Amino acid sequence: MAKKTFKGRPLLPGKLEGKALVSHQAFNTSASYLENMFAGRTDSAPCTDPANKELYGKDMAGQILCTTQTVGSTMGAGCIMGMNDLGVGFTAMLFSSHIDSIAAAGLFMDDIWNGRRIFTIDQLGDEFLEAVKTGDQISIKEDGTVEVG
Amino acid sequence: MKRREFVKTIPLTALVPAGLAAAQPAHAQTATATGQASSGASGTGALPDYAGKILDSDMNGVGPDGKPTGQKATFSGGGPSAKAHDHQMKLTKEEQDILDGKEGKEKAKLMKILVVYGNAFGAEKLVDLGGAPHSNMYVGTDYMKSMIAMFDECAKAGLKSYAPYTVNPRPYDVYNVNNNPGDMELIYEGYKLQRELDWVHVRLGAPDLNFRSCACYLDEVGNAPKPGTYVAWAESSAVNFGNSALGIRTNRNGAGMDLLSAILGKAPLFGLMTDEGRKAKWLVEIKTSKQPDWGAVGTGIGTKVVEDVPFITGIEQYFEGGKVTADNLHLLKAMGSATAASGAVGLYHVEGVTPDAKEKGRKLLVKGYKTYVIDDAEQERIIKTFPNLWPEKDGDPTAAFIGCPHNSYFEIVKFGRLITEALDKAGKEKAAIPIYMFCVNKVRDRVVEEEGELASKMKRAGVHVTNMCAVSYAGMKGFSERVRGITNSAKTRNYSTIRYFPDDILVEAIVTGKIPKGA
Repeated sequence: MAKKTFKGRPLLPGKLEGKALVSHQAFNTSASYLENMFAGRTDSAPCTDPANKELYGKDMAGQILCTTQTVGSTMGAGCIMGMNDLGVGFTAMLFSSHIDSIAAAGLFMDDIWNGRRIFTIDQLGDEFLEAVKTGDQISIKEDGTVEVG
Repeated sequence: MKRREFVKTIPLTALVPAGLAAAQPAHAQTATATGQASSGASGTGALPDYAGKILDSDMNGVGPDGKPTGQKATFSGGGPSAKAHDHQMKLTKEEQDILDGKEGKEKAKLMKILVVYGNAFGAEKLVDLGGAPHSNMYVGTDYMKSMIAMFDECAKAGLKSYAPYTVNPRPYDVYNVNNNPGDMELIYEGYKLQRELDWVHVRLGAPDLNFRSCACYLDEVGNAPKPGTYVAWAESSAVNFGNSALGIRTNRNGAGMDLLSAILGKAPLFGLMTDEGRKAKWLVEIKTSKQPDWGAVGTGIGTKVVEDVPFITGIEQYFEGGKVTADNLHLLKAMGSATAASGAVGLYHVEGVTPDAKEKGRKLLVKGYKTYVIDDAEQERIIKTFPNLWPEKDGDPTAAFIGCPHNSYFEIVKFGRLITEALDKAGKEKAAIPIYMFCVNKVRDRVVEEEGELASKMKRAGVHVTNMCAVSYAGMKGFSERVRGITNSAKTRNYSTIRYFPDDILVEAIVTGKIPKGA
């Protein structure tokens, strides 16, 4: 498959290669990590949000999430930090839209306070989310460029 | 209000310049192929029953029926600069000094977070905060450990909020509501860090637990800054009321940013804090033939406008002299909290009533605004969208929930009289079902002092007055399976299986234990 390149805003820049995990609907942070949040699971992070048909049951630990933005409880910022604490957070979050304030709070707080960075790029555009599929090879660059395929 | 800071002098530490990658998280490696999660847990065991059923007081994005509600997260936009890849706000010398570590490494980190956050949303600068903060960091669950630890470090470093601040109600009440083994088990398993969180709040500057309330603006709690004051509040209903009825200026912050801003006494200027961000994209005309159903109207508005600002007309007559007072604020509280729950509304204007609208009138409407009319038919249509999520749909109610957001003194007395008078008329002393009325302890105390006889009658009628969070109670283990709840709160309805009824139906059901036919 020919590579497609997209450019977004690198909020927490970095360089990474990996596989995409795609959610075309907004990612509900606090609903997705129930086994990790309440049963202390650390070997994997199965998505526990039954409303998210694309991700439900899939292991999210260490993945590159590609989605529109996050939704859910305003405790979601704490959840992002908590999942990084357990070692099951994403390695990167790629947003087609402008980042939301909940994800922004959790990501920036954990990066700056705890030195735990999830590479974050937003405003990649609707075309990015239309093009990328779960399992696609993703290459992220520090300037906010994302190569798919 | 004077800022109070007690900063411990510590050695200065060089900051990692912005843009350089910080240390990788422990799990960071080339991301693995996706697939089904492996079986077998590495944690403490099976997923407890209450997992996912501990509700917060803010939007969860999923309705009580488990379906996505289409809600967007708190403030997802910004000004034009919010899209710029290299936007950098301007800092004062004082702010730069803090960032450079001259007031300690903890404050330097907090300032860095605030600046990065503000840049992401296109803020041109930081502004000094006034009034007092309000925090919605109120759930001491395990997954909040990292965030609680962060603010514990701040407290240990001697940092404090710029002013004594208010906090959301606790998620449980072991005296008046959760005094049974099942609930107690959930509380001690599910809220393991509640003590730690409370201790953080004490040290950072929150008053005692008797002031815990989501309705922080009530006279009895006293957090009602003057119009135009910049604050950094969290809790959707408080932000909604504060921006709208008080005229203060705050964005709808998530948990963590409220305390962070409180410690620094500053917040990035963007969104609802700006004149531009406070403009209305919708004109909402209320044209009901009698007093509207405030919760229904709020639900309709929130669903329609989502996170845009509406300018509402047609309800001025319910606020005598165009004033929001202790006797009528509950109307805006009910409507506004519903807009914030069904949508993500952080600010609304009411023509002739709310401060911004009184000052600027319809100049607040943007060019090309949209119009939404709520007449009797539309109100009826909205109410018909409220699903019956009781497991036994035709069952009788088993409990009533009044007060989300927390009741005002006026509301407690109003419902107290409605219920006890209805019972008197029916020749009864006790209601058919228990009634939970949620309010700050200071309001409860006032009712006891000023309406002692009524308070006695309410207690004998089966009213439990509690200062906990209603939504949190509705989210507890087994609640939706064992309770067929009824409520006057459209916000509670939005987040739970509890069914919403107008006051007269609610009172009748409380007295008889039956939903009137056709209701």
